[in-house]
Amino acid sequence: MVQNKRTALITGVVLLLLTAACGPSLVIQGVDYAQPVESVLIPGDDQTVHDQRYAIRFSIAPLLAEEGVDSVDEIRLIRNSSGYYFVTAAGFTNVYVMNAAESELQLQATIEISGSGLGNPAFNQRGDHIELVDLASGNVYRMNEEELL
Amino acid sequence: MRIRINHTISILFTLMLVAGVLSSATAQSSDYEIQQDFRAEYEELVSWVDNAVSSSDLNEISDRIDGFEEVYTEHASLINSAIFPDTFGARMSDLRSRYTAAVQNIETIEQLNERVEELAGEVEQQRARLDELNAQADQLLADIQQSEANEERLSVLVAQYRQNIEAKDEFVSGVLQQLLQRYQSLDSSVMAELSEASEQLDDNPLDIIRTILAEYINQTDQVSGLEAPDYLRMKTQHNYFRDIWDRIGENVSQVFASDRSVQAEQEVTDLLNQWDSSIDNKLWSALTTAFNQNEITLNEFNSSTTFYNSLEAYVGEATAVSREVNSEEDFENFRNFSGYWNGIVKSQWGEYLTKGEVLTFDQISSIDRQLEEWNQAASPTSNLMLILFLVSIAVIIGLVVMLVSKK
Repeated sequence: MVQNKRTALITGVVLLLLTAACGPSLVIQGVDYAQPVESVLIPGDDQTVHDQRYAIRFSIAPLLAEEGVDSVDEIRLIRNSSGYYFVTAAGFTNVYVMNAAESELQLQATIEISGSGLGNPAFNQRGDHIELVDLASGNVYRMNEEELL
Repeated sequence: MRIRINHTISILFTLMLVAGVLSSATAQSSDYEIQQDFRAEYEELVSWVDNAVSSSDLNEISDRIDGFEEVYTEHASLINSAIFPDTFGARMSDLRSRYTAAVQNIETIEQLNERVEELAGEVEQQRARLDELNAQADQLLADIQQSEANEERLSVLVAQYRQNIEAKDEFVSGVLQQLLQRYQSLDSSVMAELSEASEQLDDNPLDIIRTILAEYINQTDQVSGLEAPDYLRMKTQHNYFRDIWDRIGENVSQVFASDRSVQAEQEVTDLLNQWDSSIDNKLWSALTTAFNQNEITLNEFNSSTTFYNSLEAYVGEATAVSREVNSEEDFENFRNFSGYWNGIVKSQWGEYLTKGEVLTFDQISSIDRQLEEWNQAASPTSNLMLILFLVSIAVIIGLVVMLVSKK
């Protein structure tokens, strides 16, 4: 009886290992997600923005809550080559770096830019980093998905 | 107003370009704004190119396109990404193609405008000359009607009226010749362009033609005192007019009455027919009178065919009588007809008779041949041979008598 149980257990473990070994293992390296020009998106009544060119739709309500504002006229969105989304808007004090996951955007980093809030921000894709220009003040910031450079 | 707007747009555009250059120079710019500006300025340039209406507009636009390209060439890569699948190069190529097409269109428009101005000037001159001739004719006609009692004055006025008709014929022939040269052979694209351009004209050649014909009809119907050669001349002018109209009528109608060309062409043809009838109403009786005044009584006629038949019958019958009777009177009749036929009809009216299709060359030649037969039949027969024969007999008899008496 004990012998049978042991045999069944070993068989089960072997099958589990075999199943795990046969799972998806194909990985493509060096994917460039860089969006050449930022998207300027106008939120709808439900605080959702939709970028038709790059095919992404999400709600900015959590970001507004984080910034403590009720609404913005438009948000600026750009994706770097690693695939992280950078989001900000006029009046925001931070740039939010988001990582795409299954049906969600997960916060990767919050990069503080200006205590008084950005006047007229604009993202530029600059090869190995993202450039943020505040056209109102003339300040320029360089950043990656983790921090200001 | 338009120049001021263009000037303002020009300044704004220059400022925009300068602003673009400055912003890119400071490097504190937004790629998004650069591509947005590119799109906006490109659309604006396309609009200007497509709506340009003069060469000066295009010269300005050419400079703007060069400036535009210079400013955005350094952002070509960014713009290529932003407007994918289109490219900066393709947009510039498209813009320059549009510009080239606009240059060609405007050249065509400007050429057409020149033609319209030229045409308007010609039509204006023609209208003025026509009005002048018509006014003279109306005045002379009124004077003729008032002076019917005074034969001497009437004769002078009729002579002046005749000169007026000749001057008008000469003027109209010039107008028709000009129309023939211009409108006889036009391809469809030129006709369409001319038609479009002619819409700017208040008065056009088709109107002039209708006015001329209406005045010709009026002149033919109204005036009295004209004679056979006057109407023969009108007949010639009518045939010339009809010949030209047959060659240009369709084109002229399509150019100057494109929306109702068939109807317009028919209207002129109807006027030509009406004029021909008016001439015929006067011509046949004037010819009858002319022959009668020269003691030649022809059978009644009312067409070219019956006129020829009357002439042929007159000569034929006279020839038959001369053959039978051969009197001095017949010979005198022959000399009278021959003198009138050769001295007046052929020498003075010959050109009008043939060009006006009153008689053909063959018909005139036929009358000439019959006249020769009449000449032979009417010439008095000679008695000389009989006299000589009788004298010879008398001489012979005399000689015989002398010989017998000597024996």
